[in-house]
Formats: sequence, structure tokens, C-alpha cells
Amino acid sequence: MNALGEINRREALMLAGGVFLCLQLPAAEPGAPLFFTPDEFALLDKLTELIIPADDHSPGAHETGVAAYIDRTVAEAYVPDEKTSWRKGLAAIGELLRASDVQPADVLTKLAAKETDPQTEAEKFFTQLKQTTAFTYYSSSIGIHQEMGYLGNVILQEFRGYEAN
Amino acid sequence: MLLQFPAANNPDVDLKTTYDAVIVGSGAGGGMAAHVLTAHGLKVLLLEAGKAQDTSKILHSMQWPYDHPRRGKMPPEYHALTNEYSIRKPPYAENSPYKSVQSYVQGWGGSDYSKTLVVNEKEHPYTGTRYAWVRSRAVGGKTNIWGRLALRLSDYDFKAKERDGFGENWPVSYADIEPYYDKVDLYLGISGHPENLPYLPDSKFQRPVKLNYAEMHLRETLKGMGRVLTPYRAGVTTDGLKHNKYRSRCYGRGACSRHVGGCDIHAAFDSPTGLIRPAMDTGNLTLRPNSTVYEVTVDKDTGKATGVSVIDTETRKNYEVKARTVLLAASTLESARLMLLSKSSAHPNGIGNSSGHVGHNFCEHVMGPSVAGFMKDLVGKPRTLDDGRPGGFYVARFRNLDKRSDFLRGYGYEGGSGTTMTPGAAYDTPGFGEEYKKHVRDYAGATISMGAFGEVLARYENAVGIDPHVKDAFGIPVLRFGYQFGENERKMAADMAVSAREMFEAAKFEIVSSSDKMLTEGWSIHEMGTARMGNDPKTSVVNQFQQSHDVPNLLVVDGSTHVSASCQNPTWTIMALCWRSCDHLAELLKKGEV
Repeated sequence: MNALGEINRREALMLAGGVFLCLQLPAAEPGAPLFFTPDEFALLDKLTELIIPADDHSPGAHETGVAAYIDRTVAEAYVPDEKTSWRKGLAAIGELLRASDVQPADVLTKLAAKETDPQTEAEKFFTQLKQTTAFTYYSSSIGIHQEMGYLGNVILQEFRGYEAN
Repeated sequence: MLLQFPAANNPDVDLKTTYDAVIVGSGAGGGMAAHVLTAHGLKVLLLEAGKAQDTSKILHSMQWPYDHPRRGKMPPEYHALTNEYSIRKPPYAENSPYKSVQSYVQGWGGSDYSKTLVVNEKEHPYTGTRYAWVRSRAVGGKTNIWGRLALRLSDYDFKAKERDGFGENWPVSYADIEPYYDKVDLYLGISGHPENLPYLPDSKFQRPVKLNYAEMHLRETLKGMGRVLTPYRAGVTTDGLKHNKYRSRCYGRGACSRHVGGCDIHAAFDSPTGLIRPAMDTGNLTLRPNSTVYEVTVDKDTGKATGVSVIDTETRKNYEVKARTVLLAASTLESARLMLLSKSSAHPNGIGNSSGHVGHNFCEHVMGPSVAGFMKDLVGKPRTLDDGRPGGFYVARFRNLDKRSDFLRGYGYEGGSGTTMTPGAAYDTPGFGEEYKKHVRDYAGATISMGAFGEVLARYENAVGIDPHVKDAFGIPVLRFGYQFGENERKMAADMAVSAREMFEAAKFEIVSSSDKMLTEGWSIHEMGTARMGNDPKTSVVNQFQQSHDVPNLLVVDGSTHVSASCQNPTWTIMALCWRSCDHLAELLKKGEV
């Protein structure tokens, strides 16, 4: 059934104003990173994919373009101190990963253990990176629709729930 | 398409006319005053310091976050205050590198939409104790962003002193206000489910918001504890309003908790479409945005108000407006500021302030204590649609009704359950990787949380005054805060946290997190009390009809007149009291008695 089926003409007109006027905005363009160096960007992309990987349910952070969004945000929206802290944070984790005998997942497991009370530069950065990755992934089209299967943001005749009593 | 206002933001005000009434501020109180007085055939001028904006056009309620270049966040040169409130004292924008610093707005700090509605702290500083003071300078004020919870007060509030000896009784009882609550309900629309509680009276409800599974389960659990969880009482028209062509009924888009609140089809009440536009259609109302009022002018012989002095917010030109009556509805703190600034030989302490109570008895709601968890039965179940409605639930107060606690007054909880557009579990689930991702997915529909709102006692020593040194961008002296939570609030907050856990445990929810910490003063955005009502001119500022004891043609019709904070949200009471006072004022004007 058409969700608009029972909406009368005046109501449809009123809804049209708010609902169907959508801003057309340019998507992030692929290409060279705006702030990070290619190496930093590759590391950022790898870390975000480790945090939210592709699985049999949906794509992960890499395919969703999480690193590109973070790169653009850091480039355009962050003050110099914040920019520096992202660069330093990536370097701190990069150093841990360069030790020859470690698996990246093991490094992150150690950092994640301190998630609620981070102390070192790398631990603090991991917490920040995870929150940012989560925000970016779960506010993306893949995150909202494919991964979460979100059903809302639609026009309902009535919310289907339980009557109080 | 609904166009709310004429394109011109600065319509000419007739400076030669003496209006029947000039209203300062266009939020819930000012909008209601405009509606009632114009309906009585009076010629009214409504002044608003901020811009006229068409929220139908700027809100984009159904825009997906990924269709916005910054996922809904403000541009880089803007900064939203959040942590600053708990670690610093005002002025909060001092030495900030950002072009614009916005006051915090509920959980949506940093929303792109908020930048158009809340003030820039760089232009509007204040000093003194910590306070998260959210101000909206725009036509409609904070009704553009309010949380929509529309509750009535009862004699448990109006006559609270009779029950516990603290503070003052209101000069009105529920029986006086009930007919006006009814009028507000019917004129603006309210959704809710009747519970027949003497301490949380029912409204004239339209179709209620339904509960989802976990909420229904909690409602049943609380019944066994003698407590009441009721569907969110929302100031939202769910059935529509035949008398208002500017508002649609609610279509359950779930948009009201995104984009800093607000409703681009105006199913949720806002003053511009609910009150002001219909009032303009009477032909009796002139609305002038961009008009910052800085003084109530007085006749030096009679001491009566003659009008207001205004600065044009854009041109910075000054002008004066003449009116038979002046109604202040600039918000609790701005109305107090304006009264204190309006000093004259007739009113050396500020207009209407012979009692010395203007700015004092400042109160609000304390919030912070909360609980979040999940319902095990719902973990991993197929996705449901849980947020297609204007709110989740409200738990009515249960303390200090029959038995006495170790603190005074009460508190309630606002809460909700289930899936939202972006899952909260993404931020509180520990770890990373496939396990983390699956956990977020499986638990998103099973979550439930609630947070408390409690009555802060109205105490004389909690006050605002005029800072002798600091001025705003218009050269107007700013407010200095002297306001802090006290022992009663601390005891109440501790109990809020314990009770929240107790209820979730009784419902056999798994608790993920809980907090007993109070958020910084001001967080609730429910400030009240700085020009309280009363029968005694020595201890109150206005009478039961919100008329100044000192200056009979000056009324204050916003939350500043509330004698106590109650724990129930103030917006509906602001409008009910205002309607009653304006009916009374219209009578007086007809009889020539002001």
C-alpha cells in the first residue's frame, strides 16, 4: 500500500515542503587525501577497517569511505592543535604496528583494553579513532541501511506499538 | 509550502501609534500573549531580538546524515559548547579561536541547524558561576527546539509549601489554571494517555504515542511497584488541528530527535506557526524581528510603563515604541535582566523590583542521573521501527507524595527504547572488529534508557544580577550568575540514580551503564522563578495575573513568574498562565483600569 494513501491533498502539500525538498550536495571526491600523507591515509584506512570490518552481513569502514570522510573533516573542520593530535596519534599506533612480530589485531586488542581509561598517547588516540569511526560508519548510507537495516525516517499513518493499559 | 513570515525582516513599526500592548519576546509566552490579546481585538506589537526564519525550509527533517556534507554538523568556524560547561566558568567564548561559539543544545551539540537558532556567545557573554545557558534569538525562541514534553502541574506543586513547609505557595491553585490548560490543549494539540493521577493531571489528549515492547514491559513492571510509566505526553498534534492551516498532524517520521529537534511540518508545537501566524491573520498583530529591547520606559510622574526602547539588531539604530501595556516574555533570565536594567527615579532598583526579588528565587530542573541497558528477549531479533513518534515514555514522580524522603519534592524520568537512526550501542559497546560490529547490530533494537529531571528548590540566594563591567555586542550590560545546586539537589540526585537502577533491575533489564552525576547547572534549559508570582508585594514581583505589583501596566508572562520549579516541564504551564493573565488584562483594558 502506498504510505501516502490516506493523506489528503492539503496534508500532502504541507508534507511536500519539508519532506521532498532535499539538498543536493556533492559527495566526497576520490583522489589524494586532503590532510594526511598517503602513508598516513593508508594506515588510517587500515585501522578503521580493523575497527569495523566487512563481514558477511555488510561492507566495512574501507568500502564505506570512513577514512576519506575523516581526512576531509580533519582538513576542513579541525583547528591546528586537533590536526596535530591526529597526526601524532596515527604515528603512535604506527610505531606499535611496526614491531616485526605483532599482528595488528593484537595491538588493537591491547589498546581497546584501556578504552574506558586510556593513558598513553596510542590508547587515547584509539578511543578517539574508534568513536569517530563509529560515528562515520553508522551515519553512512551503508551503515544505516545495509548494516543496521534501519526502518525509520518514513511517513507513517500510525506508529505500530502497544496501547498503554 | 508553508511560508511563515513576510520576506522583510524589518517591517516598519508605527512610532506614532500607541499600541494596546507591546510584547517582548516571541517564544511560548510571547506567542501566547499575541494570540490571546489579538483575539480580544487589541492592537499588538510583538518584538523579537532575533531573526524571522522559516524553519520549514532550513530544518530538512528527513534529510539523511550522509546527504549533508558534514553529516549534520556545523561548519568549521563554528564551535558548540559542551565540556566547557563542566570545567570552566563563563564567559565561555573568551579567547575562543572560533568565529562563532554556540550554546549547547541538549544532545545535539554541534548540529548544523542549531547555529541558526541559538546565540553566538561571542556577542552575548555572561559572567559568574557555571551555567549552561541556552538562548534562542529567533522568532519562536526555544519553541523551535524544545523537547515537546507537555505536562501539567498540580496542587502538589502549586501548594507544595502546605505539604512540606518549604518556599512559597503559588497564588493560584489547579482549579484556577485547569480551564486554561484545557484551552492550550485544544488550541495547540497534545498527545498522551490518561492516567488519572492527582499529581500529574491528564490533558485533553489527542491520539497517544504508543509504547514499544520493552517500554510496555517496563510499564507493567512499574505498575507492580506503584509507579506510573506513561506514553510521552507530547506537545504534538497527532490528530491534526482543523483551525490551524500552518500545522500538519504528526506523520511519525521520527525526525524530532534529530537535527536539534524542531519539526518542519509543525506537528510539534512551535510559537511561529501555532500562535504568531494565526494571530497575524487577525490583522491585529505587527511582528518585528531584529528588535533588541534594552529598557522599559516609564512616565516619571506616574511610574507607569510607557513602552520600550529598542536597538535594531542589524542597523543598530535606536528607537522607542509606545504602548498602553508592556508584556515581558523574553525568557526567565532575559526578562529579569530587562527589569533590572530599567532603572529610573520611579524605580531605582529596576522596574517592578521594589521587593528586591527580581533575579532571585531562580530555579530549574536538575538532571544527569540516568540508566541505560537492554532487554535480553530482544537481542538479535529482526529489526523493528521504534522511533517513528515524537517521544518514548515518561515516568511520573513518586517521591514525597505520601511518605517523606530525606529530600524535598520530586523527580520524573524521560526515556525511550529501541532502534534509532544511528545506534547508541556503537559508542558504548567495548572492543572492535567483527564481534563489536555484530554486537552493535544485535543489541540496537534491545536498548532502553531513561534520565531524570528533578525539582531544584527555589531559594532566594540563587540569583542573577547585572554585571557592572561586561557588556554584550550591543553595549547592553550582561547578567552575572550566582547560582548553584544545593544539598537537596545532591540528595535527590543520589536517589534518582538508585531508583533508576532499581526499576531496571525489577524489569530484569541488563544494565549497561548508569550515572549518579548531576550535569552542570542549566543543562535542562528549564530556568524559572526570577520574577515570581505572589500575593505579597514584599516577597513577590507579580500578582496571580502576572501583573507587576509596582507597575500595573507591566506584565511578565514567561517562566520567570513560576514560584517553584515542580519537576514537570514548564512550557505548557507558561502558556496556560499567560492565557489566563491576558484574558484578565483584556478585561482591564476594556474597563480602562490599567
